[in-house]
Amino acid sequence: MVTDVEAARRALEEALGTPEVLSDPLALRLYARDASMVEGGCALVVFPRSVDDVAACVRIAAEHGLPVVPRGSGTGLAGGSTPLGDSLVVVTTKMTRILEIRPEDRLAWVEPGVPNLDLANTLRPHGFTFAPDPSSQQTSSIGGNVSTNAGGPHCLAYGVTSNHVLALDVVLPDGSLERLGSEAPQAAGYDLRSVVVGGEGTLGVVAAVCVRLTPLPAAVRTSLFDFETVEDCAATVTDVIASGVVPAAVEMMDRGIVVAAERFAHAGYPTDAAAILIVEVDGTSASVEAQSRVVEAAARANRVRHVRVAADEAERALIWKGRKSAFGAVAQIAPHYHLHDCVVPRTKLVEVLTGVYAIAKRHDLIVTNVFHAGDGNLHPLLSFDRRKPGTLERVLAASEEIVRLCVDAGGALSGEHGIGLEKRDFMPLMFSAEDLSAQACVRTAFDPDGRMNPSKVLPDGARCGDFAVARGDDVSRVAEELPEGAWI
Amino acid sequence: MDLIHPSSKADLVEAVREANLTATRLLVVGGRRHIDRGNPSEVDAELWTTQLDRLVSYEPSEMIAVVEAGMRIGTLDRLLAEGGQEWPSDAPEDATVGGVIASGASSARRLRMGPLRDTVLEAEVVTGDGRLVRSGARTVKNVTGYDLHKLVAGSLGTLGVIAQVALKVRPLPRARRTLRFEGDLGLARTLVDAVPSAAAVLATPGGVELRQEGWPEEVEEETGLASSISTPVAAADDGPFPSSAPWDAKPVVAEVAVAPSRLDAALTGEATWGALAGVGIAWVGLGDADGGLDGLRERVRAAGGIAPAVKGPGGLGDEPVAAAGVHRRIKEAFDPNETLAPGRGWAA
Repeated sequence: MVTDVEAARRALEEALGTPEVLSDPLALRLYARDASMVEGGCALVVFPRSVDDVAACVRIAAEHGLPVVPRGSGTGLAGGSTPLGDSLVVVTTKMTRILEIRPEDRLAWVEPGVPNLDLANTLRPHGFTFAPDPSSQQTSSIGGNVSTNAGGPHCLAYGVTSNHVLALDVVLPDGSLERLGSEAPQAAGYDLRSVVVGGEGTLGVVAAVCVRLTPLPAAVRTSLFDFETVEDCAATVTDVIASGVVPAAVEMMDRGIVVAAERFAHAGYPTDAAAILIVEVDGTSASVEAQSRVVEAAARANRVRHVRVAADEAERALIWKGRKSAFGAVAQIAPHYHLHDCVVPRTKLVEVLTGVYAIAKRHDLIVTNVFHAGDGNLHPLLSFDRRKPGTLERVLAASEEIVRLCVDAGGALSGEHGIGLEKRDFMPLMFSAEDLSAQACVRTAFDPDGRMNPSKVLPDGARCGDFAVARGDDVSRVAEELPEGAWI
Repeated sequence: MDLIHPSSKADLVEAVREANLTATRLLVVGGRRHIDRGNPSEVDAELWTTQLDRLVSYEPSEMIAVVEAGMRIGTLDRLLAEGGQEWPSDAPEDATVGGVIASGASSARRLRMGPLRDTVLEAEVVTGDGRLVRSGARTVKNVTGYDLHKLVAGSLGTLGVIAQVALKVRPLPRARRTLRFEGDLGLARTLVDAVPSAAAVLATPGGVELRQEGWPEEVEEETGLASSISTPVAAADDGPFPSSAPWDAKPVVAEVAVAPSRLDAALTGEATWGALAGVGIAWVGLGDADGGLDGLRERVRAAGGIAPAVKGPGGLGDEPVAAAGVHRRIKEAFDPNETLAPGRGWAA
């Protein structure tokens, strides 16, 4: 089909109103990237305000041959909403209504552009929360959380976004609107909801979300433990889990990131420690006491230096502020960063961390680590200045080594950020040609014409019924594989 | 009826390929405990998974167990108990792991444990056309590609044969207690709100059972919270939950799924049932599939839910599936020759 951007623009302006459609060079440049390192390009940017608007966008794009790239707040770290070519970027940030809160059914219906933290704050007076709490939660949208199956510190006990989404109103690539899942605990047919969650906007545009409400715990205790060695810190995590306690959150930060976060947040973090752990336990007050005893015993057995228990809500918030602002705080180290998101078996944390430090050293890069230790979800963060010649090449080389290290340890490419463009070509490290072909079949079933967020998630060769990529094939760097016009 | 009983994944792949070549229609059978779920399907052979029952790996400090899908629930329970953990299926001992997952069975403790599909982290599946494919990873968090393992959960063996799964397991509770109350669904709802950490609140025509699990002092604290709402008429530490399930004695059992506040509307006029407050699942015992089931389904449909039969005849019901085109294309992609139990799944 011939792409007709001008005709699409006119049709969109007629359907949604002129102010909701952008095509000036500045807007196209702004929406050509998300929070990842990849920059693409797009033809039009549109801001729907209703489910009908979303359906109109998808329909018009189809009529005029434009690929559709759904986008929430643009905090994605894997290039999942980075558009390529003559795409129509459908931005949901003007769909910010909380439509309905039904405590009796433990559910709420929300529009996809609602920021995660706004939802949590709105639910709090009702005695509930939305459990997924990514570090980007002040900005990132529920629709984006759904598309990346977002996590966050509290997913250790409460589970990831998929566990908290009951139903989705989705505009499919053909423009039809369908409700996947149900307000009821089971729905007729295959659980299509479960693949759209984490589908990175390749299966349809999420136009409304029915979230599960989680009751706020009666009691919470947040503690900060600091250690002489990274090994002691990581061993504490393993021992806590092995002793049968699953805290609400177990977050680990190494010295580099502690120093940066402390300078920014003034949370009273011990900057001389090799690593710190933030452990939060919650439940009934009796359960909090019981869990705290086990956690503190594990920390002491691993030579903890100090234990700081948050005395009140203000101190608790301060301890978390340091953790949640860590990625911003690294700007003090260098102007650019590349954040990884691999998951490894919890028992391999020390081994993999040691490997990560060695890789960074070999490539002469600064690496800091702040991560969801309880889940084995690592976030090695490489800091650099990409204006310096040769730096980006070293970053990409180190990145590939880190990814391979995690997969070789029995891990996964991404715990919560997604695959997007950045890790697409690493998929054969984890999956065989048959595996990828089966995944492509799911995608093709939703989007037979390949209109939705093309080039994301699956490597180019993966097709339904076509085993073009073989396991163990050479994995070329994303930069070399990206379509023309994109740069990293 | 022919019987195919593979003892390895390679055998399983071979069997499914052979079935495709010879146009042999297969019904995948595990422990036969969830076999009544699904619509009637005419098949030529049964494919038994029960010899695929090996433990692949289990490291308690990872809280992940990797097992072949034909493993019996009783075997898995014992293995995990040695590590102080459980997979909270609440399924019969002789059911298989794969059968529980494929049938989409609900745990009686779903209020606290969530749906079982959320515990399936990775799966190896032999598709209807005989391809062994894997999705997911052996980690508790993962967003790497499309979650086929979640699609296969609840698919009633119509997309592929589950060969192996990695399960997220959890610590066994240190204390368990069941409190009994005189009361109805209204009381059950109040208890869910008063004791948000409860493992289950089950309402029946004979009263309400509150299941508590956790630390001993936590259970004591919850007992206090519950008792301030209503005085329990009985309390039992440990013991099975539910303490009894009279609906299971009926020839037909339907599993109602509605939004929790619609349980009353769905159950109006029924005599033998157990309803999970706060969840919206209810099991309803019926004398026969005719008459009773139709009336129940009409009320459940009006309440926005579904009521497939999980025991006896009755099938899934005729609620339409969402995105029927997507549904059909998925089935066609994974089982192009309709080898796996034609007609068993929801009609699309």
